[in-house]
Amino acid sequence: MNELLKFRGKSSAKANLFLGTITAVGLLLIWELVANVGIIAPQFLPAPSKVLSTLWSMILTQNLLWHAWVSNYRVLLAFSIAAIMAIPIGILMSSYRIVGASLEPTIDFIRYLPVPALVPISIIWFGVGETTKIFLLWLGTFFQLVLLVADDMRRVPQEYVEVAFTLGAKPRNILTDVGLRAMGPTLLDNLRITLGWCWTYLVLAEIVAADSGLGFVIWSARRYVKTPEVLAGVVVIGLIGLITDQLLRMLHRRMFKYL
Amino acid sequence: MNSDYLTFENVTKKFDAVPVVSQTSLGISQNSLVVFLGPSGCGKTTLMRMAGGLDLPTSGTIYLNGEAILGPDRRRGMVFQSYSSFPWLTVEGNINFGMRYRNDLNAEQRAERVQHYLRLIRLEDFAKSFPNRISGGMRQRVAIARSLAAGSDVLLMDEPFGALDALTRERLQVELRQIQAKEAKTIIFVTHDVEEAVFLADRIIVFSARPARVLHDINVTKVLGPERSLATRETQEFFKLRNDVLHMIRNETSNEHD
Repeated sequence: MNELLKFRGKSSAKANLFLGTITAVGLLLIWELVANVGIIAPQFLPAPSKVLSTLWSMILTQNLLWHAWVSNYRVLLAFSIAAIMAIPIGILMSSYRIVGASLEPTIDFIRYLPVPALVPISIIWFGVGETTKIFLLWLGTFFQLVLLVADDMRRVPQEYVEVAFTLGAKPRNILTDVGLRAMGPTLLDNLRITLGWCWTYLVLAEIVAADSGLGFVIWSARRYVKTPEVLAGVVVIGLIGLITDQLLRMLHRRMFKYL
Repeated sequence: MNSDYLTFENVTKKFDAVPVVSQTSLGISQNSLVVFLGPSGCGKTTLMRMAGGLDLPTSGTIYLNGEAILGPDRRRGMVFQSYSSFPWLTVEGNINFGMRYRNDLNAEQRAERVQHYLRLIRLEDFAKSFPNRISGGMRQRVAIARSLAAGSDVLLMDEPFGALDALTRERLQVELRQIQAKEAKTIIFVTHDVEEAVFLADRIIVFSARPARVLHDINVTKVLGPERSLATRETQEFFKLRNDVLHMIRNETSNEHD
């Protein structure tokens, strides 16, 4: 206990889980209490118990799990495309100045464009189907990720590269035997973080004329002020985020045991 | 002693227009431990990097065994102060690293060599450990073994013991002399620590402040003999030589206007 209160003290995994749970449960209790006292109209703030029971009935009667799967699929597809493009391009940007110098200004420019501002043009280009949604998710992820990957590669200490050369490695070996190995941990971290950003664009993409997905569920429930359903949809997104994040952290621990 | 094994011929190096090394000629004989000593930032590291092929001279040429050095290869291995061993590989994996690029060794020979160099640096018990589980001194030993296993004839060491505590440092210096004697390698060792230089070197080259020129060329083995142990540090000869070299360096740095 002492250690937990100390400046920059240590904490055990157990204590972390305990404290995290206490806060979450505490907030839920306060929320439940406030909602039940009746100061706030239930259309604005339904009790968490109500949200939970709505969530359950949505799973049973409104195919909520299917919508969740559709959303998850869109995110994973768009994110995979973004990652498959960003990793090699980012690596090339840091490995060869000709690539870096050519691409950096353009990517920086696009990176700062807000995705919502590009919704109209993407509808003009791709219509209101699946392509637009994937495009918007990709747009929000790729340009961020490619610069992060470039940075990961740039931060691989020059010493590793030079030592490898003096150990007989050829330029073609450096990328796989040194670059990727040295940048692995930060690369996986950045993939985990940008996957989270991809989810934040999901609702936006699914508001744009969709008939499936969690964004669609939330947006159509809003139209009839079904606040519990709106919140249930939000909770599902949060849960999916929590689970993927934990899975990727676990993968990180498994892959990089040496850290 | 033939001093034509590793030769610098009129080597000059400029970064942009700034001269870092100026008209340096130097011959190093096989199987000797030569220390490059000089004030910080004087260009001694650049000179050594050029021997490794990591930088190329602006003019002049460096030869190893009569062959001009045009780029890095496994015959001249580098040992740096930091980021010296690959953290994602075990001690064993690190030692094996360079051998993966050699076609002249089969799997069995590689395994044998790994064992040989593990024994040489006395880390048999840590073969499966990752670098972050072993001490800084052990990591530097791994880096040395990795270079030797790859098959280097020359070790280029850039202040490799600079980040270690004094006791570990002393021990490693003794060990480096032993390794060099056993493996019969040529070593260029860059440092700005006079005591380290005198203890380790067969020969000390003292460099001027930038741009680096050879100021003094000191035959240490003639004074201290080839055998060095912790007791060497307590001899009169050692003290005297250390003080002499210290004065040379002081005179050089006091000429700087800063």
